[in-house]
Amino acid sequence: MFIRSVRAEFLKLRRSFIWLAMLALPVLSAGLGTANYLNNLGMLTEQWYSLWTQHALFYCTLFAPALTGVYCAYICRLEHLNRNWNAVMTQPVPVGTMLAAKLTVVSVMTALTQLFIGILFIISGKIAGLTAPIPFELVYWILRGWWALTVQASLLLCVALIIRSFAVPVAAGILGGFCGLPALVKGFGVFFPFSLLELGMCSHNPSEPMDCSAAGFLISSCLYLLLGFSVSVLWMRKQDVKTT
Amino acid sequence: MRSLRMEFFKCKRRRLWLPLLIMLAAQLAWGLYSMRDLSARELQQGWATILYNFPMLNAMMTPVIDAVVASRMADIEHKGQTLKLLETVQRTGALFDAKFLCGAFYMTLYLIAQLAVIIGFGVVNGFAGSPPIDKIGEYFAATWLTTITILLLQLVLSLLIQNQMIGMIIGLIGSFIGLFSLFFPPSFQKFFVWAYYAVLYNTSMDWDAATRISDYYFIGFNWAGFLCLALYFVAIYAIGRILFVKKEV
Repeated sequence: MFIRSVRAEFLKLRRSFIWLAMLALPVLSAGLGTANYLNNLGMLTEQWYSLWTQHALFYCTLFAPALTGVYCAYICRLEHLNRNWNAVMTQPVPVGTMLAAKLTVVSVMTALTQLFIGILFIISGKIAGLTAPIPFELVYWILRGWWALTVQASLLLCVALIIRSFAVPVAAGILGGFCGLPALVKGFGVFFPFSLLELGMCSHNPSEPMDCSAAGFLISSCLYLLLGFSVSVLWMRKQDVKTT
Repeated sequence: MRSLRMEFFKCKRRRLWLPLLIMLAAQLAWGLYSMRDLSARELQQGWATILYNFPMLNAMMTPVIDAVVASRMADIEHKGQTLKLLETVQRTGALFDAKFLCGAFYMTLYLIAQLAVIIGFGVVNGFAGSPPIDKIGEYFAATWLTTITILLLQLVLSLLIQNQMIGMIIGLIGSFIGLFSLFFPPSFQKFFVWAYYAVLYNTSMDWDAATRISDYYFIGFNWAGFLCLALYFVAIYAIGRILFVKKEV
């Protein structure tokens, strides 16, 4: 049933132009990051690692949370329109399964975005004329970034379910991204869900391991993932849908 | 007038002000946090410093807030498919004007609240001299016109394109252009409506790399830039309104 729910969610995304967001925002983020790197070659001397700080800074603070907000808002939009929640809620599919399918689809989209970011990073490096070998840590940065984005998605999906507006989850993502930066700088990164992305992708200190313990990262991310998901399920069970 | 009243009715209980309030709180916390403990020298330049910092924050966050307000105001009609009905009882142009004025009202309140906190912060923290009314006036006029023009552009996009994702993505891209326009050459800045927070700066900063000291001071107001932005506004209004009126619903 879960697989069929996931397939149904993918079907809803057809002809949605969501790929436009998936392509445009990472390209812009990578373009800005590379331009910034090329303008500051005097200070940024560590080749791929310096380029990564520039790429990841913009991506983690603004682009990625906003993009996850867009995905979450979109995956709920079809139901918010034309009273479609009634149809969804009367299907013989448990609420948890339906929401897990939605979260899975958003997670797949963030995974594709992460993959694209990785490809863009390598292309940008080649364009910028970097000669050193591509760091293998990139794989960890991308994978941990994907996991952190899935955590964000679980929270933003909750916002998108409760507030029936396209714009609010996107704004919530941006706000979270903005607040994530000071939280990280002040050392509370591991306790704040939107800083986990910066920590996971090592945006400030591109070296292994992360700036926090792996166990801390894992526990915090799992807790926030469960929090977002369980609030969503409870909300749908207790509050039900509004279709007016 | 009645159309405008209807718009405010539609916003009732939709808590349109809530995202604005949260964003304002975040923006003020960010902007004012760095200005808590100022030295005597920094207090001397307090007003110029704060009016240098806020356009940057506005360039980064206000385009997104504009996009949110415009999207929510337009989406209510798309969701309920009410445009068909509305256009049989009121002129389409009047509907467009009313929506814009209602959104502009919210954004103006937002900017007034922001300015009030800025002035209050300056007075309480003992910035040198009384608030420079003329410079603050220039700052407000520049910020207001830029914000309203971006709102108009977002409203046109959100009304014309049913898929609200497009408007939001343009808003996001706009906020990036806003931020990065601070580093664009002036001749290039003029082409982007989001860059006018940077074009219409009436303060400037000198950074001494040797001493690592920044000096903030006021400069003349860019009237040519202001006029150019006003032309943008008129063009977007005229084109957007015609497109909306002619749109088949």
